[in-house]
Amino acid sequence: MGDTPRRLLQRLIRRIPAQELKPTLEKWGRLSQAQLQTIDFTQSKWALTGKLGTICEERNWAVKHITELELIYVIDNPNLGMWHTFQLMDPRDNAHTVELLQFKEQFKSNLSELIRNVSVKIKKHTDEAVWIRIAWGDGLSQPNHFKPTYVVHYLQTPYVFVTSLNSKQKPLLSQALVLATSYHAIKDANLSGRKFTAIRDLLMRQYEQVFPRKFHSPLKERNQIVTDPHIEREQAESSANRLQMACEAFGGGKLPQLQSAVYKLETKFRGHNKSMTQREEPIRCVVKFASTNILESLRNCASSGIASTPVTPLLSSIPLKGRNYFVITDNGPGPSQTRQQN
Amino acid sequence: MEKVTATGVLNHLSLMEAQTRSSKDHRQQQQQSRVEELKAKVEELKRHRDQLKKEVEVYESVRTLRASMDSKSVHEEDERMDGDSENAEILWLMAKHCQVTDLLHAHRLIGGFEIIQTKQGKGLCVSVATSYEGVYLDRYSLEFDTKPTFRITRHNIPPFIPLNKLTEQSNMTETELKAFLHILSQHLNAYAGRKQQLQLVKEHHQSVEVMESNALCSLLVLLFTVPKKRTPVLCTMEYLDHIRCLPTRVYCQSEDTELPECPQWKSNCLLLMENPVHKALSTMKTMGHIV
Repeated sequence: MGDTPRRLLQRLIRRIPAQELKPTLEKWGRLSQAQLQTIDFTQSKWALTGKLGTICEERNWAVKHITELELIYVIDNPNLGMWHTFQLMDPRDNAHTVELLQFKEQFKSNLSELIRNVSVKIKKHTDEAVWIRIAWGDGLSQPNHFKPTYVVHYLQTPYVFVTSLNSKQKPLLSQALVLATSYHAIKDANLSGRKFTAIRDLLMRQYEQVFPRKFHSPLKERNQIVTDPHIEREQAESSANRLQMACEAFGGGKLPQLQSAVYKLETKFRGHNKSMTQREEPIRCVVKFASTNILESLRNCASSGIASTPVTPLLSSIPLKGRNYFVITDNGPGPSQTRQQN
Repeated sequence: MEKVTATGVLNHLSLMEAQTRSSKDHRQQQQQSRVEELKAKVEELKRHRDQLKKEVEVYESVRTLRASMDSKSVHEEDERMDGDSENAEILWLMAKHCQVTDLLHAHRLIGGFEIIQTKQGKGLCVSVATSYEGVYLDRYSLEFDTKPTFRITRHNIPPFIPLNKLTEQSNMTETELKAFLHILSQHLNAYAGRKQQLQLVKEHHQSVEVMESNALCSLLVLLFTVPKKRTPVLCTMEYLDHIRCLPTRVYCQSEDTELPECPQWKSNCLLLMENPVHKALSTMKTMGHIV
């Protein structure tokens, strides 16, 4: 077995936590049950690497098999760092009928035409997500498997989620994606976060959204912690209203875990300081909200009365528009507004 | 004959007498237990009959109450049935519940949508319910702003339903909402129907493997196994018309190239074209075409 596959295997085994190793290998399916039984998973990682290394040599496996294993592990544990979202724009006529095989072939051939020495692996997950692993090389060197880019796309939706992409690789990836999905252009969707499932749930609307109803009973029942009939809450109605408005703005139940919201302000100064208001150029500043779950925090602010209700569109735009980076100019939220989703 | 004379005829006769007496007892015992069994069964059936009679009574009274409710206006709630007040209350509530459920169901059947005004008249919220084979599934909502321009502000419709295209196609305006809601409801109901079919296939037909599907449920590839020979057959169903729950094209492939051409499989393809997937699979199983 060559040096690269060996090093790749070593790094991978080190990365996978001990208790996940056996299930991941089972999912991979390339080792028979008998072989899995012979491996003692209580050994140290070093010993395990050695053992697996020998099996790989016996079976004559190459880099592509190891990357397969890596992809399987990453699909179940996608928290690899920052994920960024892109949105495809202007679908062509046949964009809605692009199916998996077509997409796979087109993407692979497009990318290989744009850059030589690139290694692409595509796998469809059970929840209809298409996972792509790209190892970039260039005209002179072999693909670098130690810094792969991961791309996730759901067919028939305009969203693409990417991690570990650098600025040189971005235009190549964009070109390949646009051609393979039959759209005209792709742009930054201004949504990023460390948890892949959170940004995906936000954009695919897979969390509980609350709409105005004539009868608010479900939320009211949730609010009733005190059942003692002698205690009457004076402001029960207004707090129920606030809760309803907060849930309408951000969602009910468990919310996707976004970590930050960034507002870049380029507005003129509005205040009492005369010298500042006389300035012609806009004041540039960046406001960043950070939390382990920013949507949960903002909803709590609104329902407890810290933030005024009805919730200001600056905050409610986060789940509504599916983005957490805004540029605010004097004319209103900036030119990089996303259009209504198709 | 020798033996009989040896033991004695009288002995033999007394033996026979004893035998008949014991068998008579045995039979009597059997009969007794059988009689007791039947008596118990009679009691049980009587109880069951009484219960059913009571249920019929309740149903009849609820029905008459309902009928009188339908013919009266909403405010005349004074009349109660004869009988003790508690029973009457419960019956009345049951009838009322029945009436409201029927009304809602009828409203949805005639293509009605739940619309409420929001933001002191400056907004609208519309709910579209989806159902398939008599079961209510997900409900989707849209919020509209009426001023300054009429537009959709918020919704929970999945991104693969082409909302923008539908608003353009149906010329959605404040007064002409019905056409847009109608076509949207068709798309959503068809999607919910296809999704439900896939779910039922996964639940009830585990011998059939789902090879490929997509988020919009507009493509389904299933792997069947033919009994006896165990040949695998790959069947692709394309649902190109997104407002229908049935496929627009079905074709089968197999290693044995003659198999898809035989009349058995041609009739299977026809079954899949004209029936919901889960029902077609049940039929195919009973006919013995697939495992």
